[in-house]
Amino acid sequence: MAGKCAEQFVIVGANYKIHASEVKKQPFGHGLKGKPILSIIILGIIVLGCIFAEKVYNHDPTGFYLENLSEAPNANFYFGTDSLGRDIFSMIWYGGRVSIIIGLLSMVIITIIGVSYGCISGIANSRIDVGMMRVPELINSVPILLLVLLLTSIMGTRNIMKISLVIGVTGWCALARLVRSEVRQIRNSEYVLAARCMGGNFLHIMCRHLIPNFISTIMFVVVSSISSSMSMESTLSFLGLGLPVDVISWGSMLSLANKALLLNTWWVIIIPGAFLVTTLVCITNIAYYFRKEVTKRENML
Amino acid sequence: MGRKSAVFKKIINSALWFMLTMFILSVGVFYLARLAPGDPLQSFYGDSVESMTAQELDAARVRLGLDAPIYTQYIKWIVNAVHGDFGLSLKYKMPALEVITPLIGNTLILGGTAYILIFLFATLLALFCAMNEDTPIDRIICKVGTAAYYIPPFWLGVVLVLIFSINLNWLPSSGAYDISESNNIINRIQHMILPLIVMFLSHLWYYAYMIRNKLLDEVRKDYVLLAKSKGCTKTEIVFKHCLRNVAPTIVSIMAISIPHVLSGTYIAESVFNYPGIGALSVESTKYHDYNLLMLVVLVTGVMVILSSIIAQSINEVIDPRMKLMEVSAWRENAQSNSL
Repeated sequence: MAGKCAEQFVIVGANYKIHASEVKKQPFGHGLKGKPILSIIILGIIVLGCIFAEKVYNHDPTGFYLENLSEAPNANFYFGTDSLGRDIFSMIWYGGRVSIIIGLLSMVIITIIGVSYGCISGIANSRIDVGMMRVPELINSVPILLLVLLLTSIMGTRNIMKISLVIGVTGWCALARLVRSEVRQIRNSEYVLAARCMGGNFLHIMCRHLIPNFISTIMFVVVSSISSSMSMESTLSFLGLGLPVDVISWGSMLSLANKALLLNTWWVIIIPGAFLVTTLVCITNIAYYFRKEVTKRENML
Repeated sequence: MGRKSAVFKKIINSALWFMLTMFILSVGVFYLARLAPGDPLQSFYGDSVESMTAQELDAARVRLGLDAPIYTQYIKWIVNAVHGDFGLSLKYKMPALEVITPLIGNTLILGGTAYILIFLFATLLALFCAMNEDTPIDRIICKVGTAAYYIPPFWLGVVLVLIFSINLNWLPSSGAYDISESNNIINRIQHMILPLIVMFLSHLWYYAYMIRNKLLDEVRKDYVLLAKSKGCTKTEIVFKHCLRNVAPTIVSIMAISIPHVLSGTYIAESVFNYPGIGALSVESTKYHDYNLLMLVVLVTGVMVILSSIIAQSINEVIDPRMKLMEVSAWRENAQSNSL
């Protein structure tokens, strides 16, 4: 049938061409434009290095090389050794795990507390809402570091879990506020009302209707909470209130900084710090990508 | 008349809120401190605790009032506190108030100077960025600023010490003044430069960015077009019109930023061993010095809340439109927009 049809119709006119829309080949990297590629690559290298630390390091990160105390970077110890004789190159990869785990754990805690608190406060009636929102205000009226210090002081031995818990418990306020103001905006929409009428309970509404709607808005805060938690962990360790020196993390490596100052061994201070700062900046850059740009009016100036 | 009484009411309100905050804070700190592991006797008597007999330990507990139930201890503490007695510092073995009084001034000088510098330069930087929006220089400043904000301040401090005091030997690395030079102002300023730089750099962009965003919203309003069509120059519009409209917001940001800046003094003081409240609080946490810690928390709370009341009153003067509600709306906004 199809063949017959083609014979019946004779195409008139010379040089006819079947019109096919030209598919432009997208230049490489077009889809990547605006995405934080460089940050992702650098962060990927650091994270992979930490995950496969056993393959990367050339010395035992927990070993003390007592005949090589405070040695400058050389061919054997790529990044030198610290005042306890530990190899910094190996410790960087090994300790990065702890730092990243603390960042992620704190992020999870912050997200869980912040989202559920914000949702409850946003859904509840205005009186409970006002009362609940007093709590973040109260917490924010004290320097956050003081709160963290207080909480760390009541812990006996410190470990990864406890440190992340302290950082998480003190860091959820901004997220809860943001979630609450988002929930306030969407709680009167028809689909939430419909879900309620059909008897959906709070948990159902929260998981199926609220969270999917504000997730893009809170993504920025959530991701950047990883970097602020990591920064807080290192600060605590530096002050001698975080992880003990024998639990290796970037923060506890920097807690030897004061000693390194006396010995004037720059590599003990600069190298772990540089890794920490690079990671933080990369995470922040990625977080910025999640931030929705509000369409702005034209600049009048 | 009506406005005045409204302002008065607001101040009363914030004073009440202040009392409540202090109460909750002190109860919280008291309970937390008493729950903490680590024997307060250890910090009071040092290592001699281990050689004491059980009876001696009990007697010491009774003497220091550590044997009573927690709420009794708290009531006793608060009654004494009202009379100006905040108990003995367990580590320094002198009244906590005496330990803390000489240090408050140091912290206020450091924090205050940093605070003024931060907001002065944050506003200037924000104005500069807003006037050159989306030009390469604005983008570079944004990138560098964000990166600088995420450098942990303690590390910045250590690096500065490494460069400027150890290797170049230009500036002293610790303390507020050299021994026997406590009245030498130049010496004190020299000691303040590095902590100030740390606080300045680690807070500057956070606030500059907030103010920049606010200014960018402002620049898009219609009155700017009007001013432009009248023939005002760019600088004139931004400084005379936009800045004036943004000023109340800046004051509000300044009010809520006080705890944040104080947090910064904690780190700066600890890194540089600057004798101030921040370094003291870190130390008293380490040594379980509860009485001192309570006082530090209370003093910090008083500073924070008093200054936010002052900022609110200033706002009332410069912009009568400002209402409490707007402040809290802005505060929410600032939280979600902040870095």
